[in-house]
Amino acid sequence: MEATQVVIIGGGATGAGILWDLSLRGISAILLEQGDIANGATGRCHGLLHSGGRYAVKDPDTARECVAENRIIKAVAPHCVDEVGGIFVKCAQDDPAFFEQWWRAAGEVGIRSHRLSREEARELEPNLAADILGAFTCPDAHVDVFRLVLANLEAAVARGGRFLTYSEVTSILSADGRVRGVRYRNTRSGEEDEISCEVVINAAGGWAQGIAAMAGVDVPVLCDKGTLLVLNHRLNRRVINRCRKSSDADILVPAGPVCILGTSSIRVPSPEGLAASREEVDHLLRLGDELIPGLVNARILRIFCGVRPLYAPMPVEVARGREISRGFALLDHGTRDGVSGFISIVGGKLTTYRLMAAAACDCVAAKLGVDVECTTDKTPLRPAVDRTTHHRAIHVLPHPVAEMMERRLGPETDQVIQAIETRPDLAEVVCECELVTRGELEYVLGGATPAPACTIADVGRRTRLGFGPCQGTFCGYKAMLAGFQTHRWTASEAATEFSAYLHERAKGQAFIHQGKQVEQLDLNYDLYGADRMLCADSGKQDGI
Amino acid sequence: MESDRYDVIVVGAGVSGLVTAGAAAHRNLKVALVATGPGSFVTGPGWLKAQDILCASAAPELGEAIAFFCEMARRAGCPYAGDISTAKYLPTLLGDFQSVALAPLLLWNAEPRDGVSTAVIGIRGLSSFDENFMAERLSERARAMSSSGTYAARQISLSRDMGAPVTTLHLAQLFDRDPGFRKELVYALRAAASGFQRIFVPGMLGLASSAEQIAEFKRELLCEVCEIPTLPPSIPGLRVFHRMESYLHQIGVELFRGFPVKEVVIHDGLCTGVRIAAPGHAMNLRGLCVVLATGRHSASPLNGAYAGRDQQMRPLASTGAVMARNLFIAESLPDSGAGNNGDAMRILTGYRAGNLAASTRGNHAA
Repeated sequence: MEATQVVIIGGGATGAGILWDLSLRGISAILLEQGDIANGATGRCHGLLHSGGRYAVKDPDTARECVAENRIIKAVAPHCVDEVGGIFVKCAQDDPAFFEQWWRAAGEVGIRSHRLSREEARELEPNLAADILGAFTCPDAHVDVFRLVLANLEAAVARGGRFLTYSEVTSILSADGRVRGVRYRNTRSGEEDEISCEVVINAAGGWAQGIAAMAGVDVPVLCDKGTLLVLNHRLNRRVINRCRKSSDADILVPAGPVCILGTSSIRVPSPEGLAASREEVDHLLRLGDELIPGLVNARILRIFCGVRPLYAPMPVEVARGREISRGFALLDHGTRDGVSGFISIVGGKLTTYRLMAAAACDCVAAKLGVDVECTTDKTPLRPAVDRTTHHRAIHVLPHPVAEMMERRLGPETDQVIQAIETRPDLAEVVCECELVTRGELEYVLGGATPAPACTIADVGRRTRLGFGPCQGTFCGYKAMLAGFQTHRWTASEAATEFSAYLHERAKGQAFIHQGKQVEQLDLNYDLYGADRMLCADSGKQDGI
Repeated sequence: MESDRYDVIVVGAGVSGLVTAGAAAHRNLKVALVATGPGSFVTGPGWLKAQDILCASAAPELGEAIAFFCEMARRAGCPYAGDISTAKYLPTLLGDFQSVALAPLLLWNAEPRDGVSTAVIGIRGLSSFDENFMAERLSERARAMSSSGTYAARQISLSRDMGAPVTTLHLAQLFDRDPGFRKELVYALRAAASGFQRIFVPGMLGLASSAEQIAEFKRELLCEVCEIPTLPPSIPGLRVFHRMESYLHQIGVELFRGFPVKEVVIHDGLCTGVRIAAPGHAMNLRGLCVVLATGRHSASPLNGAYAGRDQQMRPLASTGAVMARNLFIAESLPDSGAGNNGDAMRILTGYRAGNLAASTRGNHAA
């Protein structure tokens, strides 16, 4: 049995942020995640780094938090953020009173914004509907959620933090009203082990209620499903928000080479087994088409669902998804329930993950008697790539390929470039949408990285491989071969991994029934004999 | 007949459109084939899965349609083997065995065989094909099927620098053009095949080479050779497409490649032709009847205005009325919500549409 000071349950943005924060304060910690990194809400959202505009009217406190965190994340994790900016569009169909209310509220919470006329707005975003009334600007941005989580984890590891993926907590060990540790199971090998610790932090998001129940306490979490569509192109340069009371399909986020439209808001009983319905998809497309005419005919690459884990201390019968605060809550179960050494951090949002982590860590530090302030708002998550590595990279790779790799890998680029210098075949680009080289592929599958990939989907989260139009049909196959060639998998393990990967990707395409992407699905069928039943399977949907 | 008017305009050059055009041309009709691209058949191995045959087995003329397709393929120089009542297991890209009813001849003899030793031969630089993976998988899968056949991996290097990574398309083009390359390939394969009764190579044995050239290549190898499927560019599927397309051209079908059809022109329940978006201007093709073989994936030129199709494969408006009595839809409807019905259904509906078009034209003439 290992021993550490703190065990963190949940490898989303919050958990990863906590691991980083604790490592900066010199507190030893191990993070346990039941799947791969960003398995829950973090990996299944728009990836919108909110400016605060979305909450300015309804929830000024959350909006203020967003304003501050937006600036901090851009400063400490620039490699994870694409500073695209955003606009709130005034549509003719919407309530004009809300526009002015928004403008006033935005000013009050401190959002940098200015007014755009219809012409100005359409000059910035030519695809906007011709009948819009105007727009307001805001500093929204896109954040690569997987990279953000990885960046936190890797920074923490460099300072002694540890994390285990595919490690599901099966029980919380306690004695004399005190939490003493956790028992967990490796979901891939089935092996079990225990970790003893002084404090357990429940950062399990949608699963937080279940984790809390293991310690005999109730944490009411309401699961609010949102469905999102990944479209083939960037239809917009900036984040486009619809300026009205939060509703369905009113955010379109440009994300790398694609854009993501969302979302719906539907209460579900559990964060598992989510599925979109065809009606939901058609509904989102129809609404999106009001903002961007023609969007309804765009090629959909993927449909996925996530859950907003909302903290709902009021009776759940009363609470409706969008009306619950997006603020977060820190629950100290020692004072609240008489279970000391156990805290839960629930609610909140991606944009405020760092703030949530800071709050949780302040509480833990006080319990452990550690008198160190939070510094995550000032400490960059990773150093920049040095000039020499950059020059070596552009010597062996085309510029855009080298730049993409540097953005993803940072200083680790050095190791991949070294490998390419000795084996030029590693310079081959295996994922042409995201410009992933064979060298990078073998690197994330190998043991040298702090966060090695266990599955092909894990490779995707680390490199974005398979996120483009082929959805892994070609590059996933090559990733499988790489896993075989580097002796990570035997031939049959590799084939099993690939089948599982195809199955997972197919679920996200279950409701795509027209347009170019169907051709891609037919191709999968021709190439791999992918079972047609797969396409009708409306089972669990996974992240982008 | 007016000289600038076609008897049949076929839209779409997937396997369905090719068969439609072939069936119509065989009835001595004047045929135009209009397509933006080659369709998805070309990206696969070009075979007809046993389950695809099953999907279409309710149709009485399935046998006739498939026989027509095979005859067309034979004349085009890419012969098929098998028939709708057979099924044998052929290797897939994943090193599994797929139950297949008909396949291009070069793929047909790759089924598991008791007591036969097979070399899976990869080519240095062709990174999307891994002979070790394939041999290990095929051995396991064959064992699981209680076959005593064995598989071993071999790799050959070709002396010329083709730049890395090499693609199957590049290799196939060299195979077609360069007798020296074929000779080198024969020597390399022969050396690698020594001690084996059969060899598997990634699909790459030319796109345009004649049946005689292939036969000569096989003779020189001194052992049996089969192609196995690869990631696209998939030569076996591409080969079928190219050969069939040039065959159609030979028998007088006019090809309009790369142009999207913008509109199907319908007046008073009669279709008079299609409007094509050629660069810089729109072009009108006039026809006595039109077959849409664009598949469920393409944006249909009918713009989703239809609600289904009748027994005669004609599109119906939402009122239930036939939109045009000389317009036919092969394949699935773009928004019918139907899944992939497989290539046998595509051939069947193409064949049917070609015949319907011919009989419509007969009515007009009368």
